[in-house]
Amino acid sequence: MSSTAPQRRPATVRSRFAPHLDGAALDRARLAVVPRLRSRAPRVPFVMLVSVLLLTGVVGLLLFNTSMQQASFTASRLEDESKVLAAREQALTTELDRLRNPDRLAALACKQGMVVGPPAAFIDLTTGRVTGVPAPAEAGPCLGTPPAPASKVRR
Amino acid sequence: MFIAMILSLFAARLVQLQGVDPGQYAAMAAAEGKISVVLPAERGDIVDRNGQPLADSIDGLMVVADPSLTEAKAAALAGFLSRRLDLDYFTTLKRLRMPDSRFQYIARQVPAAHARDVVDAARDKGFVGIFTRDDPVRVYPAGSIGANLLGFLGTPRKNGAARPSAGLELAFNGYLSGHDGEARYQVGATGSQIPLGDNTVDPARDGSRLTLTLDRDLQWYCQQVLADAVRNARGDSGTVIVGDSRTGEILCLADYPTYDASRPDLSPENLYGSRALSDAYEPGSVEKTLTMASLIDAGKVTDTTRFKVPSVLLRQDRPIHDYFEHGTLRLTLAGILAKSSNIGTVMAADKFDRGQLRSYLTRFGLGSRTGVGIGGESPGILPDGSMWTSQTADRIAFGQSLSVNALQMWAAVNTIANGGERVDPSLVKGTATLADGTEVGSGVAQRRRVVSEDAARQTSEMMERVIDPEAGVAPGAAVPGYRVAGKTGTAQRVVDGVYDGSFTVSFAGFAPADDPRFTAYVVVHNPRNGGGGGSVGGPAFSKIMGYTLRRYAVAPTGTPPSRLPVEW
Repeated sequence: MSSTAPQRRPATVRSRFAPHLDGAALDRARLAVVPRLRSRAPRVPFVMLVSVLLLTGVVGLLLFNTSMQQASFTASRLEDESKVLAAREQALTTELDRLRNPDRLAALACKQGMVVGPPAAFIDLTTGRVTGVPAPAEAGPCLGTPPAPASKVRR
Repeated sequence: MFIAMILSLFAARLVQLQGVDPGQYAAMAAAEGKISVVLPAERGDIVDRNGQPLADSIDGLMVVADPSLTEAKAAALAGFLSRRLDLDYFTTLKRLRMPDSRFQYIARQVPAAHARDVVDAARDKGFVGIFTRDDPVRVYPAGSIGANLLGFLGTPRKNGAARPSAGLELAFNGYLSGHDGEARYQVGATGSQIPLGDNTVDPARDGSRLTLTLDRDLQWYCQQVLADAVRNARGDSGTVIVGDSRTGEILCLADYPTYDASRPDLSPENLYGSRALSDAYEPGSVEKTLTMASLIDAGKVTDTTRFKVPSVLLRQDRPIHDYFEHGTLRLTLAGILAKSSNIGTVMAADKFDRGQLRSYLTRFGLGSRTGVGIGGESPGILPDGSMWTSQTADRIAFGQSLSVNALQMWAAVNTIANGGERVDPSLVKGTATLADGTEVGSGVAQRRRVVSEDAARQTSEMMERVIDPEAGVAPGAAVPGYRVAGKTGTAQRVVDGVYDGSFTVSFAGFAPADDPRFTAYVVVHNPRNGGGGGSVGGPAFSKIMGYTLRRYAVAPTGTPPSRLPVEW
């Protein structure tokens, strides 16, 4: 259908404006539509590509979500574990503090026959001068009362 | 027609949902699967000046039971729990069998690690219906050390808030407790947080740490020596205070009898507070040091002013005696102090202008609270106006008819040690805020001059004569190698408004006398062994002062001691 129109219109033009021109020249000057190059690219790969991308995206998102969820589980588990460990550490620190209690240390030291330090003397290293009246330690009774037995659990 | 009816119903529901109450439904939808968790703020620790813990907060859990589940195996479970948690078997059994109940406390404030172990072990043994819930624990690792100052936290209230019961825990409750935070987030079916769900966190603000000026080891030593002193004198109670003369920082403040802050349930409630602060008593002759310093500062006398001290002084309403029989003595002012003569002190105090002594004593801090930050502190009684008669004035000059709390008296004597400048005593290192917004602590301690440096030095030299074996009355207070200045006190006690014949004996002093580093004060109430300030307080003072000087490696000054004449 498109081929018929250009053929008819030059005839009209020639008859109106250039009756003297011959047919060959006219043929040379005639404009013709270049036949359209029809690309026949296959559609399948494109569809495949899109599908793959879509699928990867969906699956990836799913995996990502799952792994996030998994991480959240792990996080709560680790948090619980850290809580337990922190509590354990606190319990041990408390036990240490209890063992360091001066009352207890003094009682232990006294059992081994140790006494509170006697008067000491001081030596000034620059002048060599000695001040103070040193005295030897003397065995004596323990200070104060032994501490009440500490109970492990408090109500 | 039928379809139209159905659609109308849908439309009506739509109007109800969207038009009538959209907000509530949206909130209900959002609340589904969303939880809110309180993030508990950790209560601040209380530590001594070296960072040693005195009170500490640790994670704790309460063990609770659902009796509808535990009833079946109650006897076995009660046996297991009472053994592992140190509980009473029968109480536990009763709770595990409580009819018509789904919630019973089994144990409160159990350290978290221990509670989890026990509950896990119970589950392993096949017991059901035992759970744990958060219940923070306050521990006092030092037990009775400083307990009268610290106070303690009782069992938490129902809403989990702390219940401070006395002392610093109560006074600084707001400062220590901080503010709880809150987290809201969406959870899945298993209770884990949904990663991309809504979540908001308002973080908890932990309480502040309270650092005291106390030295835990010295506090321990003070308490032991005090306990021995009170028991040996067969006294009722006592107090020891040791502090840094220059800064007013209290290194130990011991009360006897005391209690164990980690087991307050084992002691009566009247032991919980610090009687060094809450009880007012008559200081006796220790107060003479303040009278003498004031007299010298006012230019009325010097340390060598001579007095003829008769055997008895007849005054307006009654004769004044000395605690020892004597004829007419020829004593210097130093001698009056060294022998602790009431008659001599009254004669010297006669030189004061009207109102002068009271104004000095006020500046020494008597009659007003020290404000160290512990509630229930007694201001003591310093009579004024019509109460200040000439008879009262006589007795006040030698430390009767006025009352003080032990810390007030410590700060007053320390004024002489600190060259005449009074510095507020402090228990809190740095600053901390009380409930009413007041800042207290060594960071805001005020200083004010009470007597001149020269008056303080003269008084200090006179006080050295008190320790002298020949001139003075308290050789037992001497610290070998050091120059010590001090003063004994023996005062009648007011019990239920009358002098009941019992006494308060005390000794206050500082060392080294010519460059004071520490001031110590020992008070024993109602000794029944007939001892006075020199024989009861002196040796305890000597031990404590000697220990403190060694502990802080203070070398003796090596200068010769005061040889002020006591007689003429």
